[in-house]
Amino acid sequence: MISRRHLMLVSAIGAFAPRLAFAQASDAGALIAQFAQKGIVEILAARIANAEKQTRFRDLFKTYFDLPAIGRFVLGRYTRTIKPEELTTFTPLFEDVIVYTWSRRFSDYNGQTLKVGASTPDGDEGAIVKSTIVGNAGENYAVDWRLRKRPDGWKVVDVIVAGVSMAITYRNEYNTIIAQQGGFAGLVGQLQKQVGELKAAQPA
Amino acid sequence: MSPFPFSRLFAVLALCLLAGACATRPPASDLNAVAAYEEANDPLEPFNRAMFKTDQALDSAVVKPVVRVYRGIVPEGGRRSVGNFLRNLRSPITFVHDVLQAEPERAGTTVARFTVNTFIGVLGLFDVAADMGLPHHSEDFGQTLAVWGIGDGPYLYMPLLGPSTLRDGTGFGVDAVFVDPVAWYSRGNNPYTWAQWVVFGGLVINAKDETMFATDELKASSIDYYASLRSAYRQIRANEILNGEAAPMEDFDEFSMGSEPAADAPELPQTTVISNR
Repeated sequence: MISRRHLMLVSAIGAFAPRLAFAQASDAGALIAQFAQKGIVEILAARIANAEKQTRFRDLFKTYFDLPAIGRFVLGRYTRTIKPEELTTFTPLFEDVIVYTWSRRFSDYNGQTLKVGASTPDGDEGAIVKSTIVGNAGENYAVDWRLRKRPDGWKVVDVIVAGVSMAITYRNEYNTIIAQQGGFAGLVGQLQKQVGELKAAQPA
Repeated sequence: MSPFPFSRLFAVLALCLLAGACATRPPASDLNAVAAYEEANDPLEPFNRAMFKTDQALDSAVVKPVVRVYRGIVPEGGRRSVGNFLRNLRSPITFVHDVLQAEPERAGTTVARFTVNTFIGVLGLFDVAADMGLPHHSEDFGQTLAVWGIGDGPYLYMPLLGPSTLRDGTGFGVDAVFVDPVAWYSRGNNPYTWAQWVVFGGLVINAKDETMFATDELKASSIDYYASLRSAYRQIRANEILNGEAAPMEDFDEFSMGSEPAADAPELPQTTVISNR
């Protein structure tokens, strides 16, 4: 907790930049609160068909997340060695994997809320927003959101659930697949198969 | 540098020779594959994947059916009490490692929790201490070794025990034999020498009950579940060793901003979360 006195001390020693970073990081927290609010009202709790929920979620996800950046991070070193058209094949497939993975679970929504906590500056001009998913039986799940400042505002680049980063987990998994199962073309084939399976597993 | 570099190397070699199961290192010309191989740090991968397959088979044939019966008989509150009881029974191990990691405040919390939960919480069935502002944390010899500067070493997968590393697996063994009071008790001259096996069975069933949802989700979102579980395990351990502090990530944007990556782009730093290696 930063007290008023602490803030005064900080400005007194002229450390303007960290204060600015904290102020910006709290904007990041507001963005997460907005994302959660929209997700709950317009998708999870909305009385609409699941197909419509998927469409809305895809739009919401692409607005609030920097998907191309996540895709490049997930491919890691391979981002440098693959052809540009291969990246164009990968990104929409990866988007489908995330959309259909999340939408499989929309019908399980049961009144949970997201409590947005503290924001802290992170690494290269980013922010981490801490939050808690509060279930109706009092159970809590810690979720951290990693954000980066882009020309058009804050964008989410990673979701960390109970210490496990989505981006790092996908990156380690996909790098293993590329190295062991037929290179980049092998990964694309596997992703196409997985998207088909996830589509088939969607609730009506 | 680890104080036991040679014994560690020897142990890996012995395992490799016994199992005849070392992963082939990719050719040095394939820089990306070499990087992926080193980041995974899984030289025993063929052996581990075989163990993983065995574990998955045991899971669907035995562990999950037992958990389903357990869930059918014991209501949620009761299952929470079983988890609390087993965690309370582990407190002495956590206490020893709080001390070995020079964390007096956390050691005090562990003692206070054990006292409150054992006497007020009916032998640990109820986590009264958490409601009093004494949250649970868990320590083990693997984490102590990490705090002492020993890297996690090669990945290791064991049926029933699940994902581990050479360091964490060694720590688990040392705790189970030398630190765990249940083990001391079981070795004593008493008619309850089976106590440790009952507790072990309870731990396996309780752990599956508590983690089944998360691992099933991870499995459903993965193509190569073995690889994503390996990544998740390493991240969870790194998070536990840092006592829940999120590691800042400096390198996220290395691939993210420029549209045309430079040919002489700098080397990608090792992923932040496993930098304690």
